[in-house]
Amino acid sequence: MKSEELTETDRTDEADFVFKPVRPVQSEGQAPCQLNCPCSTNIRDWIAPIAQREHTGASLREAYEEAWTRIVDHNPFPAVMGRICPHPCESGCNRIGKDGNVSVSALERFLGDWALEQKLRLPRLDRESRDESVAVVGAGPAGLSYAYQMARRGYRVKVFDWHPEAGGMLRYGVPKYRLPRSVLDAEIARITELGVELCLGVRIGTDLSLEELKADHQLLFLGLGTQQGRLMNIPGENGASVWVGTDFLERYNEGHALSLGEHLVVIGGGNTAIDVARTGRRSGARVTVLYRRQLEEMPAIDSEIRHAREEGVDFEDLATPLEISRDASGALRGLTVQRLHPGKQDDDGRHVPQAIPGDTYYLDASAVVIAISQVTDWTGLEDAESMAGAETTRQPDSRLTLGGDVLRLGIASQAIAEGRKCAEQARGEPPNSLLADKTLPTVKVDHYAGADSVNLTEALPDERLLSPDLETSHTISENEFLAEVQRCLSCGSCLGCYQCWMYCNAGSFTPLEQGGPGQYFSFDSDLCEGCGKCIELCPCGYLSPK
Amino acid sequence: MHDTKDASTKPGEQGHEKVEEEAVRILTDPGSWAKHGSGTDEEGPRSETNGDSDNWKLQPGNRVAVIGGGPAGSLFSQFLLKTMAHLDIDIDVEIYEPRDFNFCGPAGCNHCGGVVSESLIQILGTEGVVLPEEVVQRGIDSYVMHMDVGSVRIETPLQEKRIAAVYRGNGPRQSEPASIAGFDHHLISLARSAGAKVRQQMVTEVDLDEGRPRITCADGHRQTYDLLVVASGVNSALLGLIEKSGLEFKAPTAVKSFVAEFKLGAATIERSFGTSMHVFLLDIPRLQFAALIPKGEYLTLVMLGDDVDQELVESFLNAPEVRSCFPGNRPPDNACQCFPRLNLSHVRRPFADRVVFIGDSGVARLYKDGIGSAYRTAKAAANCVALHGISARDFHYHYWPACKKIAIDNLLGRCVFGFCHLLQKLRFARRSVMRMTVIEQRTEGAIPHMSSVLWDVFTGSAPYREVLFRTLHPFFLGRLIWNLLAANAWKSGRRNRELSTP
Repeated sequence: MKSEELTETDRTDEADFVFKPVRPVQSEGQAPCQLNCPCSTNIRDWIAPIAQREHTGASLREAYEEAWTRIVDHNPFPAVMGRICPHPCESGCNRIGKDGNVSVSALERFLGDWALEQKLRLPRLDRESRDESVAVVGAGPAGLSYAYQMARRGYRVKVFDWHPEAGGMLRYGVPKYRLPRSVLDAEIARITELGVELCLGVRIGTDLSLEELKADHQLLFLGLGTQQGRLMNIPGENGASVWVGTDFLERYNEGHALSLGEHLVVIGGGNTAIDVARTGRRSGARVTVLYRRQLEEMPAIDSEIRHAREEGVDFEDLATPLEISRDASGALRGLTVQRLHPGKQDDDGRHVPQAIPGDTYYLDASAVVIAISQVTDWTGLEDAESMAGAETTRQPDSRLTLGGDVLRLGIASQAIAEGRKCAEQARGEPPNSLLADKTLPTVKVDHYAGADSVNLTEALPDERLLSPDLETSHTISENEFLAEVQRCLSCGSCLGCYQCWMYCNAGSFTPLEQGGPGQYFSFDSDLCEGCGKCIELCPCGYLSPK
Repeated sequence: MHDTKDASTKPGEQGHEKVEEEAVRILTDPGSWAKHGSGTDEEGPRSETNGDSDNWKLQPGNRVAVIGGGPAGSLFSQFLLKTMAHLDIDIDVEIYEPRDFNFCGPAGCNHCGGVVSESLIQILGTEGVVLPEEVVQRGIDSYVMHMDVGSVRIETPLQEKRIAAVYRGNGPRQSEPASIAGFDHHLISLARSAGAKVRQQMVTEVDLDEGRPRITCADGHRQTYDLLVVASGVNSALLGLIEKSGLEFKAPTAVKSFVAEFKLGAATIERSFGTSMHVFLLDIPRLQFAALIPKGEYLTLVMLGDDVDQELVESFLNAPEVRSCFPGNRPPDNACQCFPRLNLSHVRRPFADRVVFIGDSGVARLYKDGIGSAYRTAKAAANCVALHGISARDFHYHYWPACKKIAIDNLLGRCVFGFCHLLQKLRFARRSVMRMTVIEQRTEGAIPHMSSVLWDVFTGSAPYREVLFRTLHPFFLGRLIWNLLAANAWKSGRRNRELSTP
């Protein structure tokens, strides 16, 4: 008998066989979109009320309102950000490998526009008003976000800006074809409706000193941003027909005519450079972008680069100007350009380009815009600058807070996040707990039915060049919106698919009477037979092994 | 089904059938005797004067919903679509199956040991349901019966009684789905190619919309159909939902079983278990039957019994007879486990106007060959729908007889399993069965009375009635009695000791 042979030779383990139950725990996981959002907007959780309205019985309007309220908890500019944010949230979407990420930008934009149409008001957090008054310097995304977060917490807030209108870079940096001013105006108006007072045309440091502000207000926030474009320190860059990117866009956006001549050369590869290039095309000039690294490494938003190409912008990568040459009268003639090779990768994985000795060429140009980087203009605020120190700190003293690009150059979403962070800090609230201690769930992407991503309709390049302020892409329709919402996998959060309940032989799951997005079933571990089937059926990873 | 209720209270005329059916009902559900008295006023046919018989036939463009895409649902859809195509009637069949049977582990599994008799495979073949090599894992050619009094190998009595094994999903948890093709996945693919539409949606509500069945899904999708076919089995909450739906329906009672997979590797399995299915008849309280089935890299354990639970699983796997089968004298940690439910009773009236219950949701074979009964009920229901109609009356005359046959056989099956149970309890009886089988297996040309009875009980490849009648044969009884005496009178005898190894 075979078994007897085996028992003689292999009798090694006298331990008893022990049944090992596999039981689930219900635990909310971290959605990758939220983790990647600089503003830590709980994207999954604002999509859920709309995607799961069949379960909750909410009307479409109620669901939209709930979703919008969740967005503006973090970001008071959904219609603006839906248009201009590069949406890093989309880059980690679990759906990418299946049939494309959820188009969070399109969803946010639709909802933002809907709320503007419905004239929804921003919700307050505290009913009572507080005595302390707050001064905000800079009416850009950081300053307005901070002002909004403080105003909804009951503070009296005054925002100072030397520009004639509020919005900062959103108004003076972003071109109108990316962000219609009506949308920006409407979202700023909602903040002033909360009681935020705008003092425009006032330059702190010259018109009004920081000391005077400190005397009148208990708390100060400096959201100065970075408006001063940097030059390259090359011969010929000082003089007519050479601009830095921020100045160029500001003048254009303010409606000043710019004489660019025939050929505009833009230096840089960020969003400012692309904005300048596309704006240049709208002014009728031929445009070439010079970028010192390889095209794939351009930090600008991919779709912006694509749009620029569609509009006829030329790109030359691995090239940097050595000299801008002018004729005897000082008029711009062209550039001497140095060719580069990609070089070795640095610690961040980006290549550090190296000049190829002797490999230069000449490029005719009638205008040059340098859009390589920008810094804060501290004019008149040198005290604050020295207080903030070389390693700019967020809170140099207990009454003064700095936030936004002034700390670290980044996208608008990051500046908005700074505003909220500083407001929470001022109130002594615990920092946003959404990101704390949550693990990324194992999402079973295969368990979801396939569905193609929404197709964004765009104006034709010719139309765009003919009407310079025409928006490149359109807000999606409601049907498209509702279909796209359904594509969200609800990573790590119960979406009420009923699988655990349907297939649990032991009946351990019971539908909750008050169930809603995040939890629809209660689980009774006493009934659980330990087969672990529910864990493997749960598509979103809300159930995980104990 | 308001309509049906009126109709079904009409006096019945089908005397003969009535009596037989009533007998079954009383036997299977003794409580009903008191409730229904003589029972003659139940289950009558729908009034002929109802007229408009076309109402009760599927018309071109009609929609049929099938809840559940397991063997019953998939086979039904395929049979119905094929027959309707012959009749040149174009209908829509939608199978609601939220799961993808291509997934490994429990997510894609339909929980069972996956043993299929060769005869069923042949029958399916004649129906045009051809199972390719990667679906059917043949290679089991014998049983080893283990009892405390010894073990005996039983070779397949006849070639057509071979056993095949299939995976219901795409293999156990963490397996690599290389050469495995799931049985259920194959069947639902066949249904799809026959024209059925598979909706990967979960049905969470069933109700009636002006006399027609209506389905609501978890995602809010709602649709009314001309015919609803319930093939959900007993391993989901769906039948519970239907009980609450207003359809007069009572789910069958079910019993817990246990299925586990052990990853041992093909070589170890070959060495320790060979090409045999190992059956255990042990005197462990609450245990009725247990079997170890080799399937490639894995060994499948199936346990039946009374309220199978963690404790019973442990006491079985720690029994010396079981431990000694495994290398190292101990079963390894299992890769996959679950406690699937098996039908113990059947649905008394697995149909209503425009609704029919097939497979385990209706009537299933007791303990064994659930796939076989899924096939038989699916076939009968599809024929009834295509050729006769979809009223309760049509199902009563043209679908219920097939169910009844299974139900009656189950009654006899209970007797057979009663004997088995007795065998497990009585040591002297175990000895005699062991002796009789061993001698049959050793003797060339001997008529394998006991062997074939055991074979059919374990595989479920013959109706229980046949098994029972064979055991009642005087010759069989004579040999059994002789062995009873021989095995127990000289229990220390050399021959008995010798015989107790296969």
